[in-house]
Amino acid sequence: MKKILSGSVLLVLGLTLSACGSNQSDSSETSLEETTENSASKVMTDKLGNEVEIPDNPEKVLASYLEDYLVALDVIPVAQWSVYDGESIQEYLQDELVGVPLIPHDLPYESVLEYEPDLMIVRDAIEPDMYDQYAQITPTYVLNSSPTEWRETLTEIGEVLGKEEKAKSVLDSYEKKAEEKASELAKVADGESAAAIWMVNNSLFVVHPKRSSGAVLYEDLGLAVPEVVSELSSDADWAAISLEELAKMDVDHLFFVNSDGPNAEMFEDRLWQNIPAVQNEQVYEFGPETSWLYYGPIASEQVMDDVVESITNSVQ
Amino acid sequence: MNFKNTLTKNYKSFLFFLILLIVVIGLFSLVTGYLSISLSDIWATMIGKGTKRNQLLLIEFRLPRLLVAVLAGASLGVAGTLFQGITQNELADPGIIGINSGAGLAVVVFLTIRSSQINSSSLINVISLPFAAFAGGLIAAFSIYVIAWKKGITPIRMVLVGIGVNAGFGALLTMLQLRMDESDFNQVAIWLSGSIWNAHWPAVFSLLPWVIFLIPISIYKSRILNILQLGDQMAVGLGVSIELERVKMIAIGVALAGASVSVAGGISFLGLGAPHIARKLVGNKHERLLPVAACIGALVLLISDSISRNLLAPSEVPVGLVVSVLGAPYFLYLLVNSES
Repeated sequence: MKKILSGSVLLVLGLTLSACGSNQSDSSETSLEETTENSASKVMTDKLGNEVEIPDNPEKVLASYLEDYLVALDVIPVAQWSVYDGESIQEYLQDELVGVPLIPHDLPYESVLEYEPDLMIVRDAIEPDMYDQYAQITPTYVLNSSPTEWRETLTEIGEVLGKEEKAKSVLDSYEKKAEEKASELAKVADGESAAAIWMVNNSLFVVHPKRSSGAVLYEDLGLAVPEVVSELSSDADWAAISLEELAKMDVDHLFFVNSDGPNAEMFEDRLWQNIPAVQNEQVYEFGPETSWLYYGPIASEQVMDDVVESITNSVQ
Repeated sequence: MNFKNTLTKNYKSFLFFLILLIVVIGLFSLVTGYLSISLSDIWATMIGKGTKRNQLLLIEFRLPRLLVAVLAGASLGVAGTLFQGITQNELADPGIIGINSGAGLAVVVFLTIRSSQINSSSLINVISLPFAAFAGGLIAAFSIYVIAWKKGITPIRMVLVGIGVNAGFGALLTMLQLRMDESDFNQVAIWLSGSIWNAHWPAVFSLLPWVIFLIPISIYKSRILNILQLGDQMAVGLGVSIELERVKMIAIGVALAGASVSVAGGISFLGLGAPHIARKLVGNKHERLLPVAACIGALVLLISDSISRNLLAPSEVPVGLVVSVLGAPYFLYLLVNSES
């Protein structure tokens, strides 16, 4: 009996010892970090209240699902967002991101460690426990700005990366372009309405009038919001809409993001075939690889180009 | 049963062998993973001469995980043995009779309350989790005891009531989950299926004291557990105050199960399977059964964690699912065998 007791105590003792051992190396590691710290760096307070020491001119930046902003600021990240082993990536950015390795969207510690970034920028959705672990790998900054406000996000990321000027010039040229395109549109489609519909798994969603591609349609390009859209909009970027409601929608131009492919069941439906915009051939179809479902300066600019091109072509 | 006799006779060397096996598999688990690291790198890191990358990888990511797997596995193994001893039912398991879901419910409630007050110190939060889980487990155990009470308690009634209580707490948990937003829901769902993937040092330290105190106490109580096996009447005849001892033992089991749930989530089958395997190996004497069950629990969770880390690397399968996949066939095998 006593021997068993002492045996289990030994086991426990062994565990405690190994834990202590690692604690010591813990402290030596922080000192190691201090000595290698760049002399040039700034401190910024992030959303979780952490004072993050951000190196000047970070070379290896990791900002998963924020690549749009990085590319706009001429920064190529060390790795890019992906789901299911690369089954889903941000196709619309691949001109700039070609060859950039993939990182799973849930950012496993070992994957982050693999790329040894100088700086990591994340959105708020991570747990505090995970933040602590990431912060040990590299300075990790949690964005303060809201995910639905791409302009604020761009400005904040510009500040973090020390590229305030570039961020401002990207914004300025975007606003300038938006103004030009809006007046261009006003000539051919004055007061006309538009909506963006997304079909995925045979369900339909309509974009929020102030979010994602909705903000481009209505706020930047000045198209009119159909009644149904303003009624439906909840707190989601894309609100569910039934085919019946869509058929009732009085809309001149329908931008249709199709994630289901050309043989979707929906197209067989009589209701679909009777939608006025469908009958007038004023439905413009886009694949899921386009930027319609995303946020950011590049996504918005691409949506803007798509809209203007589609509407001017249909008028001619 | 020659095998069992040999093991029982050489029990000390067998226990030593099990501990050695844990160490060897632990080392193997440190070496394997998405990023590769050699044994010599491990040695260099252990004596403090490794690169920063290897230090992080081993000491901050893989080692705490390994220790959580060992500690949680051992506590579930012991908790299962205790419940099976108390109820004299080999199908009793803290997961089946609702202790885990009671503890889980308490942890989820605690986390929901906590998340409304941001920026409280992380270590205190992690350390208070096992207490919340303990409280939840106790409520579950108390409900079982009260409902099953009919001028005393029969073990079989206790198990049946436990299954009902488990369903009740499961329903409450689902209700709570449905009121959460999507990201919280996902987080809780993953946690409930048993996950140690972001185990870190605070989790190890919050689990360690429970294991250090409660496992030796359980082993110290072996004699009582052995007597309870003889049946209630015999136990009373031998001068054991059965209700009091049962309550004490339940409290210990609940505390161990709760502590493990609070860091590792709902890992099922381990509390059931580890004591079974241990019993097959060294028989029904608790002074031998408990340490072996602890080792088997630790081993199974360790191996399952290695699988869960490497199967879809760098992404992860919740370790609880791996345990269930390994454990369910064993459970069926037990059922089929006990029929014949």
